[in-house]
Amino acid sequence: MFLNVNEYKPDLAKTIKTMTKTYQDAVNHKGGNVTFRALPNSDIDFYSSFDLTQYNYETDIEKYAENLCQKLSNSFYVRKDIDDNMIPAISPVLGIGDYSAFVTGDIDFRPDTSWSTPSLKNITDFKDLPPIGTSKWYKKFLLISEAMLKISNGSGIPFMRGFFSPMDLAGALRGEEIYYDLYDNPDELHELLDYCADATIQFAEDIYSLARKYLKDTEYGMWLLEGNINMSEDISCMISGDLYREFCAPHTQKVIDHFGVGHMHCHSRAMYLVKEICSLKNVANLWLATDPNQPRPIEHIEQLVEDANGVCLAIDCDNFNEIENNIDALRKGNFSICMPLNSIEEAYEAVEKFNNL
Amino acid sequence: MDIFNEISEFLQKGKAKDVRALVQQALDNNIPPQEILTEGLIVGMGIIGGKFKRNEVYVPEVLIAARAMNAGLEILRPALAKDNIKPIGKAVICTVKGDMHDIGKNLVKMMLEGQGIECIDLGVDVSADKIVEAIIEHEPDLVCLSALLTTTMMAQKEIIDAIKAAGLRDKVKIMVGGAPVTQAFAEQIGADAYTPDAASAAESACMFLKE
Repeated sequence: MFLNVNEYKPDLAKTIKTMTKTYQDAVNHKGGNVTFRALPNSDIDFYSSFDLTQYNYETDIEKYAENLCQKLSNSFYVRKDIDDNMIPAISPVLGIGDYSAFVTGDIDFRPDTSWSTPSLKNITDFKDLPPIGTSKWYKKFLLISEAMLKISNGSGIPFMRGFFSPMDLAGALRGEEIYYDLYDNPDELHELLDYCADATIQFAEDIYSLARKYLKDTEYGMWLLEGNINMSEDISCMISGDLYREFCAPHTQKVIDHFGVGHMHCHSRAMYLVKEICSLKNVANLWLATDPNQPRPIEHIEQLVEDANGVCLAIDCDNFNEIENNIDALRKGNFSICMPLNSIEEAYEAVEKFNNL
Repeated sequence: MDIFNEISEFLQKGKAKDVRALVQQALDNNIPPQEILTEGLIVGMGIIGGKFKRNEVYVPEVLIAARAMNAGLEILRPALAKDNIKPIGKAVICTVKGDMHDIGKNLVKMMLEGQGIECIDLGVDVSADKIVEAIIEHEPDLVCLSALLTTTMMAQKEIIDAIKAAGLRDKVKIMVGGAPVTQAFAEQIGADAYTPDAASAAESACMFLKE
């Protein structure tokens, strides 16, 4: 089904080299790397046609993996000549419910996403949970991952998995109560966050170990995983920088330190968090998603360069003028600029224009 | 500092126990319950709303302030009822069908309650039919619809269409909000108001109720 990963890029070695340099410079707080990510519709369209409710996750794992891999394979193929910074990677797509159900609870699937129900009525209830690694969705996620790795075996396509940060995981397990915990139960919250950090480390280690089994002899298969951890900081976008420093940073740092380098994600509604997250040690990348009705990162480049302190910021723009108008400021830091495009043809043009800047 | 200021200050800090005690003290001093509500609790919640709007405080601070407000209201409610003081209006509020996010909806609800508006909270993932039923049952002045996802914001239109089809459109003002919602979208789907945050929602609601 999949071609060799090298077939999906004009020059994969060059792309990997560029991004490796970007992330190394980022960790060393050295700027000067600006790369471009074309986002043709085909990169995202398949998500909307992949109905998560069509599968019985007891009996249909192979069918699920086959269908998802086919869609991924098609989307990689149509953009194979686009010389941007995108590196093809495969990963299970199960909505967001699986990001916490690996600890406990079940997943409520909807066609285009999934949910999990908060399960810790009292903050200390996590102490009564069965050991990490024994839950239904922990095992099932590994089975799904393995089914996908078997299909892609031999292609050398990198495997990828992101995780909730400890605060996001604690938020999913506690629901809205997490916001009260910050004031009502600070000590217990630290305990829960530490538990979430350990759970994430164990889960990630097991996924990486599984991926290693299939990809250890490939050139780039483990490129996104080995020595790295990808985590979201979404709940943190609802709290102050002071609370982030007190409650989130130490536990997020624990997970980063375990793996080596952090690749993070947060939202533009909380641009004040850029400084906080980029102050953590060994963060290479922060995907700062633009929220509707909120400040647009591309319009605040000078401030972001200062706050990111060299960490590569993955941001988006609406049109090429926004890149052209900001290119000098962008080059003071490290950036990956993503631009939505209507077609593959537009993507070729945009890459060419970017390379001529 | 007068007792109203004290109530407001402790409310803003989320000190529920202190707010409760101060409200009781104010009642014991024969201060009219309506004044305790409007000069103490509502003022405090209004200040928190303004700070939230300006990103001076964040979600946890609003939640604990709202909890403190509710603690004060628990003490105050029997006295308000005795004086026959009613909420200034009634709102049916929910997150629309297909969307399970409730924090935005809950913040709006708290801010509305903080302005003395009674809220009928239908929860999350709520269908148009259920909202039409709630309008018939509760006869609200306002319907507040939240959607966090681009994939669910169209459900706001479906609800407005269902309210129209049921012949209830002129009975209620419809307010929409949520991360992907814009003023243009609100106008396009025939809503009466879009507000970008919970505090603005409370301000709009109060304006509608004054009309």
